[in-house]
Amino acid sequence: MLEVKNVDAGYGSTVILQDISLHVEPGEVVTIVGANGAGKTTLLRTISGLVKPRTGAITFEGKDITKLEAHDTVDRGITLIPEGRQLFPDMTVRDNLLMGAYCRHARDYQDDTLHEVLELFPRLRERLDQHASSLSGGEQQMVAIARGMMARPKILMFDEPSLGLAPIIVSQVFEVIAQVAATGTTVLIVEQNVFHTLKAADRGYVLENGRMVLTDDADALLQNDHVRQAYLGI
Amino acid sequence: MTETTSMTQASGGGLSAQKLGLIAVAVLLAGLIAVPVAVGDEFVYHIFITICIFAALSTAWNIVGGYAGQLSLGHAIFYGIGGYAGVILVNFGISPWFGMFAGAAVAVVAAIVVSWPCFRLHGPFFALATIAFLEVFRVLALHFRDLTGGATGLMIQLNIGWEWMVFRERFPALLIAFGMLLVCLAVAWAIRSHRLGFYLVATRERESAAKAAGVGTVKVRLMAVSVSAALSAMVGTFHAMYLTFIEPESMFSLQFSIQIAMFALIGGIGTVWGPLLGAVLLVPITEFARGALGSEAIGLHGFVYGVVLMLVVLFLPNGIMGVVHRFTSSSEKTEGEQAAPVAAAPRSAVPHEPGREVMRVEGLQKHFGGLHVTNDVGFTLREGEILGVIGPNGAGKTTVFNMLSGFLKPDQGRVSVLSPSGEWQEPATPADFATLGVGRTFQIVQPFAAMTVEENIMVGAFHRHPHVGDAREAARETAHRMGLGPYLNAEAASLTIGGLKRLEVARVMAMEPRILLLDEVMAGINQTDVRRAVDLMLSIRDTGVSIIAIEHVMQAVMSLSDRVIVINSGQIIAQGDPQKVVRDPQVIEAYLGKEFTHA
Amino acid sequence: MDTFLQIVANGLMLGGLFAIVAVGLTLIFGIVKVINFAHGEFLMVGMYLTFLLSTGLDVHPYLTAAAVAPALFVLGALTQRLLIQPLMSARDEHVQIFATVGLSTALMNLALLVFGADIANTPAHGVRSQVMLGEVRILTGQLWVFGAAILLVIALQLFMKKTRTGRAIRATAQNRAAARLMGINDKFIYVLTFGLGAACVGLGSSLIAPLYPTSPTIGTYFVLIAFVCVVLGGLGSIPGAFFGALVIGLVDALSGFYIGSDLREAVVFTIFLLILILKPSGLFGTRMTQSHVSP
Repeated sequence: MLEVKNVDAGYGSTVILQDISLHVEPGEVVTIVGANGAGKTTLLRTISGLVKPRTGAITFEGKDITKLEAHDTVDRGITLIPEGRQLFPDMTVRDNLLMGAYCRHARDYQDDTLHEVLELFPRLRERLDQHASSLSGGEQQMVAIARGMMARPKILMFDEPSLGLAPIIVSQVFEVIAQVAATGTTVLIVEQNVFHTLKAADRGYVLENGRMVLTDDADALLQNDHVRQAYLGI
Repeated sequence: MTETTSMTQASGGGLSAQKLGLIAVAVLLAGLIAVPVAVGDEFVYHIFITICIFAALSTAWNIVGGYAGQLSLGHAIFYGIGGYAGVILVNFGISPWFGMFAGAAVAVVAAIVVSWPCFRLHGPFFALATIAFLEVFRVLALHFRDLTGGATGLMIQLNIGWEWMVFRERFPALLIAFGMLLVCLAVAWAIRSHRLGFYLVATRERESAAKAAGVGTVKVRLMAVSVSAALSAMVGTFHAMYLTFIEPESMFSLQFSIQIAMFALIGGIGTVWGPLLGAVLLVPITEFARGALGSEAIGLHGFVYGVVLMLVVLFLPNGIMGVVHRFTSSSEKTEGEQAAPVAAAPRSAVPHEPGREVMRVEGLQKHFGGLHVTNDVGFTLREGEILGVIGPNGAGKTTVFNMLSGFLKPDQGRVSVLSPSGEWQEPATPADFATLGVGRTFQIVQPFAAMTVEENIMVGAFHRHPHVGDAREAARETAHRMGLGPYLNAEAASLTIGGLKRLEVARVMAMEPRILLLDEVMAGINQTDVRRAVDLMLSIRDTGVSIIAIEHVMQAVMSLSDRVIVINSGQIIAQGDPQKVVRDPQVIEAYLGKEFTHA
Repeated sequence: MDTFLQIVANGLMLGGLFAIVAVGLTLIFGIVKVINFAHGEFLMVGMYLTFLLSTGLDVHPYLTAAAVAPALFVLGALTQRLLIQPLMSARDEHVQIFATVGLSTALMNLALLVFGADIANTPAHGVRSQVMLGEVRILTGQLWVFGAAILLVIALQLFMKKTRTGRAIRATAQNRAAARLMGINDKFIYVLTFGLGAACVGLGSSLIAPLYPTSPTIGTYFVLIAFVCVVLGGLGSIPGAFFGALVIGLVDALSGFYIGSDLREAVVFTIFLLILILKPSGLFGTRMTQSHVSP
């Protein structure tokens, strides 16, 4: 479904990603784990078109999307829920969600999708007319996920969904991700919370210093000595 | 905004390029005198006097607008003050040679009053504020008719001779204008090649990093603005004598202010010779056009200026000097792919013992809006101790760092530091902390992008070594120690992320701190480098420096730290021996998730 | 008392005039985050267009707005596309400042070249006839400007709050990267917004031309005052700019009478500096509008 082949990317003269390859199949939950600064966020930004690869190719459903702008990849069905939520702070929750359905293929179903999404996030229904900036961190993360779903994506990418959240909220976020996956949406998660993500995923990749060093089934990675030592601290 | 060749002692091929540059400047300057003398035409004299005046004003502007990055569009304030001071005093029978110093003094006062409150305004708003001040000055000059003659303007009494700066021939006027240009260039060059220049550029590029390096950012900007205003006023006095008539509309003109800035931008903003080049190239074109087409072409020169300005920002953002620099530096690319290894000193096998307390942190509290980001954080740091700080992303570690270095004021609680003389002090500002020997790095690297690696480190080294030569020596030593030796002359912006992390540490190491705050310096560097960095930190620690390090690389934290603090949701949830702390169930839960405790 | 009321009325009418210039400026600043130093010259260009069209075709200047506003939209959109957009990612702020300063200088001097320094008076029927509100006399032309300013503010507010495109514009301003992830073409939004801001001043120029003589330098005066209104009202806030303009209109009129007409500008700019330095969020602004000062 999504295939990244030998991609190099970075900002300005700084190279972040080197020779990255990965693939995601329909209906899978795939995770990319790695330390801070390993290049995980850059990888997701590259897939979504916010960063342009220097070399290599990205294809989605068999079509080349390497050179597409971010707003075009959304139209193809790739949605990124960015690190740190990135809501529109001075807009209401409702307007935030409606912005999620801005892309062409989601526009016409906007009201139906909103209804479905609110079924999944009943707490947001009470918050619809509040400004996004007035919500707690956990609620904001829920809005970010809900906003991502409003685009009716084929693949939903999460960048550090646990960032800055209390442990109990982190568990809730992962429950929601499991629910999203259960609806048949393909999921790609990037996380520093290695344990949680590997538990939730089918397969995983390990990214270190901008290179893919390891890939395996999630359960196998959990047992892998290198992973246990470097990321789980044991 | 790049100028590196003129301040770096380039070696080998670079030296001849620098010599060539100086010869070119000398030829250009000689031409400013020789051409009008050779041609002997009144109008040509006038053009060259105008070039000298604009080049001098633009060079003076560049000290503030270029080096310090404060885009003043009100510089005619100082020029006008100089002009009025000169003319008013001449009409009292006082020579403009005195008048220009009086004007300069008034201009310095005006400059401080105008710019001090405006320093916290960013780019375009600083520019807007200076425009507003200019308008106020113009209106006041129109209003106080008794002093300024109001809208009708002021005519000088025509006393001819050197003491009055007024001549029948053009040649002496050209000499004075040229002399003023030389003075402005000399001052600009001197600033750029001494500590003040480095500090100004550092402040422009990254104010917070400059503060952390102990730069008094407000002080150096005020110095720049004062020097620039004084020079502009002196040129203004002479220009008023040359014009023999002044009025508020021409002395306090926005268009005039814009032109001054424009020459610097076109020639190369922030470079020593750029303003001169800009004026030399543009003034003749427009003056000739004006001379040839006369009153039909009213507006032509302004139109040309405006179009050239747009073209330059679009296609030559570093001005003509940028092009020159590109040609001279293209031959000097010697960078390798990989940085040289960090040269860690061999460590003594003597087990080390932390000494006396050097920093005390008590009851820190901080709120951002409704968020309680720091809740009752307190600990002590001993001499020669490495304290690791860990915790999940967003736990508030960097906020604590900001309070330990003066970048944030805690709502409650205090930070005290033991001074070298043995008293406890409570520093408040980043400069206070730097003075007491507290150095910090930033999690998001903050290089001075337009400076070379060596110059970046020199900004830190100036803290202990005020002279350029000594600072350069110390910076090179630090660079070699940090494995940045091969990159001394590379622009900081060209480094890889690993290189930038090292540069961040090198800059703070060059300050020779007693307490070192390191914010995730190992994130994003490879395994071998992590090991080297650990060795380096241990060797720094062994020289008696105390280190507080925020780290995510667990392997490094475990092998480095004498003690570990775990922060979660703004609170310290555990502290003590690293091995014990990571076994603490509360820590595991906070850091790795609840289920992990059962896994 | 009658004099005072008359001055207040004059001030409010002047405020309406400032508002119609300031609204476009604050729109561009609030969304594109660029200070358009050439905004005054946009006004000047609009006024010359109004003059040429109304005298050339012998129509009422107000009617020319139908052509002038779209023309200015194109000028604004081109400015964004050709001049600002290539510089949006520039590391140094000075290039954006100098880009619009350069445009301002070029346009002003182009007008000098084409039209000379003489003023052009746009004739218009009925604009200078007086309406009596009680004891207070107001020009009909001023009333039109005032009414148009109110309508413009309301229309823009509705557009920004109620339409999909308006929401996309606000979203882009609040978080550009996130907006792109929603499928919003940020570059198009910026071009559109710059065009809209210029069209607002284009509309204003057709209304102002019959009241003020057109000259190449007319823009400088208005744009500096418009900056004051924008900062006073909180940067980027459209209603803020409107109320800021009313306040500045009143200050201008009152200080002109009670302090001295030659010192009006000094008073206005002193207020501007005080607000900029002491209360950077403006009189009606929120924390979101303080991005231009260091904490």
